[in-house]
Amino acid sequence: MAQSAQSVKKRKIKGDGVWGYAFIAVALIVYAMFTAYPVFSAFIISFQEYKPLGSTYIGFDNYTATFKDDLFWKSIKNTIVYTVLTVPVALLLSFLVAIMILPLRKKLQTVFKAVYYLPVVASGVALSLVWLWIFDPMPGGIFNQFIGWFGAHNQNWLGSSATAMFSLVIMAWLSSHGASIIIYLAALLGIDDSYYEAADLDGASFLQKLWHIVIPSLKPTTLFLLVTAIIGSFQVFQNAYLMTGGGPDHATTMVGLLIFDNAFKYFEFGKAAAQSLILALIIALVSLFQFKFLGKDVDY
Amino acid sequence: MSLYNNHTGSRAGKAARNTVIVVLLLLFALATLFPIYFMVISSFGDPVEAGAVSYSIWPGKFTLESYSFFFNYSKYSYRWILNSTIVAGAITVTNVFFATMAGYAFSKLRFKGRGVLFSILLAAMMIPYQVTQVPLYILIVNTFHIQNTYSALILPSLVTVYNIFLAKQFMSSIPTEILESAKVEGCSQFQIFFRIIVPLSKTVMAVIAILTFMDSWNTFFWPFLVTNTMDMQTIQVGLKNFRFANTTYFSPMMAGATISAVPMFILFFSLQKYFLEGVTVGAVKG
Amino acid sequence: MMNKGKALSLMLAATLSVSALTACGGNKNDNGASSPAASGSAAASGSASSGAKDTITALLPPVSPTYQDNFDQMEKDFNAKYPNLTLKIEPASWEDMTQKLDTQVNAGSPPDIAFIGSDGISKYVQQGMALDLTDAVTPEMTGDYDAVPLEYMKNGSGLYGFPAYMEVHALGGNKQFLEEAGIDWKKVQKDGWTYDEFRDAIKKGVVKNGNTTSRYGFVFATAGVASKDYLGIMAKSAGMPASFNKDLKYALTSKNYLELLTDLRQMIDDGSMPKELSSVDAGKRWNMFLTGQTMITGKGLATFENSAKKNNAKIDANDGSAVKDSIKVDYIVLPVPTFAGAAPVSSTVVDGYVAFRGKKEPTAEHKANIAKAAYFLSSGQVAATTNNDLFAAHITKSGRDAAASMKIDRNPDNVAAVETMLSHAAPARPDIPADLGAKAIKIENEVIVPKMQALLAGEIKPQDMYDAVKKAAIDAFGQDGIVQD
Repeated sequence: MAQSAQSVKKRKIKGDGVWGYAFIAVALIVYAMFTAYPVFSAFIISFQEYKPLGSTYIGFDNYTATFKDDLFWKSIKNTIVYTVLTVPVALLLSFLVAIMILPLRKKLQTVFKAVYYLPVVASGVALSLVWLWIFDPMPGGIFNQFIGWFGAHNQNWLGSSATAMFSLVIMAWLSSHGASIIIYLAALLGIDDSYYEAADLDGASFLQKLWHIVIPSLKPTTLFLLVTAIIGSFQVFQNAYLMTGGGPDHATTMVGLLIFDNAFKYFEFGKAAAQSLILALIIALVSLFQFKFLGKDVDY
Repeated sequence: MSLYNNHTGSRAGKAARNTVIVVLLLLFALATLFPIYFMVISSFGDPVEAGAVSYSIWPGKFTLESYSFFFNYSKYSYRWILNSTIVAGAITVTNVFFATMAGYAFSKLRFKGRGVLFSILLAAMMIPYQVTQVPLYILIVNTFHIQNTYSALILPSLVTVYNIFLAKQFMSSIPTEILESAKVEGCSQFQIFFRIIVPLSKTVMAVIAILTFMDSWNTFFWPFLVTNTMDMQTIQVGLKNFRFANTTYFSPMMAGATISAVPMFILFFSLQKYFLEGVTVGAVKG
Repeated sequence: MMNKGKALSLMLAATLSVSALTACGGNKNDNGASSPAASGSAAASGSASSGAKDTITALLPPVSPTYQDNFDQMEKDFNAKYPNLTLKIEPASWEDMTQKLDTQVNAGSPPDIAFIGSDGISKYVQQGMALDLTDAVTPEMTGDYDAVPLEYMKNGSGLYGFPAYMEVHALGGNKQFLEEAGIDWKKVQKDGWTYDEFRDAIKKGVVKNGNTTSRYGFVFATAGVASKDYLGIMAKSAGMPASFNKDLKYALTSKNYLELLTDLRQMIDDGSMPKELSSVDAGKRWNMFLTGQTMITGKGLATFENSAKKNNAKIDANDGSAVKDSIKVDYIVLPVPTFAGAAPVSSTVVDGYVAFRGKKEPTAEHKANIAKAAYFLSSGQVAATTNNDLFAAHITKSGRDAAASMKIDRNPDNVAAVETMLSHAAPARPDIPADLGAKAIKIENEVIVPKMQALLAGEIKPQDMYDAVKKAAIDAFGQDGIVQD
């Protein structure tokens, strides 16, 4: 009896297994060619002094040099500060907006979805030009006019180390929620009505339903958004590159910017590869923690 | 959609609640929309250089000259839009299809090495692109010799880990019992995927479609690297040509950016009904 | 039996799905292959055939607003001149072109020619990827160029390309405001000015409206891409024409450097420059200049005269297309002041067509063809059109001849002022070894630029910045590798 049950189970697993591999085959091939191979190359390069006409192996030199580099640690610190300040707030805002859009009439829903999706479609360069105007240090700048109403002094937003990081954080708070709002909305709409109906029968309040139905159901989505947002945030360099160039005095130098500089400004490609792998390891540890923490109830 | 207690409270109460919500949403929208607003109004300005741009909330002048400047600037202006459409369209289709398939496998099928394989896929997302792009460039250009082709633009993004992860997370909420019962009824996995999973995953497929299209439409660096003639450039690469050593044609650049946003809107509005309705398991069961 | 049947159906389905996949992928490939430009681009650098036919690739940014429009014509003209040669031009945008070039260089397959700044040459020489054209160029070619700009294309003993133009970094003044402040700008154009004279002048240029400054004496772009310009340009006239002195010792540790930093800070403390200077970018200060918010601006390039004229015309037309709140401005070219009693040395930028090699050593014939193409692009008709577009001075005989018939409308005083400044342009320094140059660039990016931002924002003192630069210099070059006075 026991044996036959086991063999049935085994057969099922086996059957599923073939299908599993068939379903991920294309993804795996694309991945192996266009992602795994370049990553592997980068790994090898991280042990080299890279020269296009023939690199030399230098062992762990790139790694030890990185560990000794104060600027590297400062940029890691900046990146972590930026991530901690932006990701949770951005996620919460997206969630709140999605929840608020939900009860509206369909036409209004569409309007707001479009409105929040809009900023995502604008090109990054165009957006950064506008933001430079918003943070204009002269009295004519939009933010300076705004705080002027409250009697506050002119601020040199991007130019002073007291406000530069904060300015980048504000920029992150107020832009680019389009994708996460859409993803949250889609997830919210996927929650089966029967859960709410059951809760209604029990006389559950809005907050109770939010807490007991919505938040648990959205866990996989939240996990996805959190993991990808943190990965994105750790690699961020566009904002700092376009808005502050990492200044003043390295107050906004992100590790992504440093890697970019090493790879392209100084041609220290091996060092850039080593720094990337260290960064990837840090991100991996953070992600692992998130999966442990948030992924528990999720079947994956 | 009965997260909100529609049956409780008066109609006036509901109206009041919705008004408050709309006001809050509008305020936040104002902040997010401002850059777009600025992009659009500046596109109606004269085709002047950036140093001479006057930053003001109201356009000083309304003219379509920048739009005609954009299209007359290069004989390839239309071609850029066409290229972007082909590339982004192809990438969107393949991603929706393959990411859904892989997402399903990773979330619902049991096979050896599933967890490990998925972790390896995810880990790749964590390596910054700055260091992988040179090896990738070597692969595409020096090994495959396919630079300046659509293949070079499309192949590396055929299916992304981001989308697989997204699909997997959404599918984890599909009750496994349905799949089990389908299997008991004799459905093959192939049938299960197309008859049950795909209809149930319309929402996430639409989300993947929109996000992927938008992302590949906006991609600048890779197309810039692997194209070397103007007729193969995409719109984002073409737009950058409006920047010169000491000047930038500001309004035409904004006009181009505005034009290039249009296809994303068309896609958004043609897919948005899938988010509006939402597909729930109940719908299929019933 | 049953198992077999199941396996069979599974396999069938699998092939089905696989063939569906390949059909999908195949379509994409067909798209690619059928595109007109798909094939034939494999003829990259370094693969010159021994036959007479050859293709030269060139990566070119939009040097001037009409430059990229002329690509087809250039390719045609080149082919007409050398029927066996084909010039293939790759367009690129300015700001991203370095990144593309660097990726191609790192991958070992750069174009034959790229348009870059001469200061970038040492980086590629160090990588071993820049191509020395010394034995490929003819005396007729080199003889066509002015000596100073041509020097800029050298590194060590090698010649790595041809210069396109030499532009001088100057300042620009508003004629009306200068005269109101009692500044004899014609004399300054001729004889230059010292820091003390300059400091007095810009103090007089300030107009206050109660507590707020409605017009500054001087505004220089220091944010974004301009971050290196300010200090770099001023240092030239402070006794430090290059990062290294004649004995190849790092010069930015001299006393003059500290004095320069002190002076630059002083102009902000005087109120002659805005205290928000550290976030004024190139667009912002030009706007301030056109709207009368500053008397003098920097850096100034020759083409700004033209931009100011265009805006004046728009103000006259009064159709709302002029810059908002702008006033009519006569643009006056002014030299940079001299600091610490040093001689005036103008900061110049020389950009040009630099030659590259691929993984394989190019044949002598291919090298000669690259030289022909670089010469074609940087002389004669092509150079004349481009430089006129930019209001830049001509630096080849053939370019001057070709430009003789093209008339442009420029203020003769400004033309003369630019000539004066070019006469004491900073000399090229091909003797600085590539590895020293690379270290200096790293100090500039990682120490000087960030500290300068902090100095301008008033967060550190000149002495703090000087100490930081000195420390970094000692780390990089040792106690004996730097100037100590």
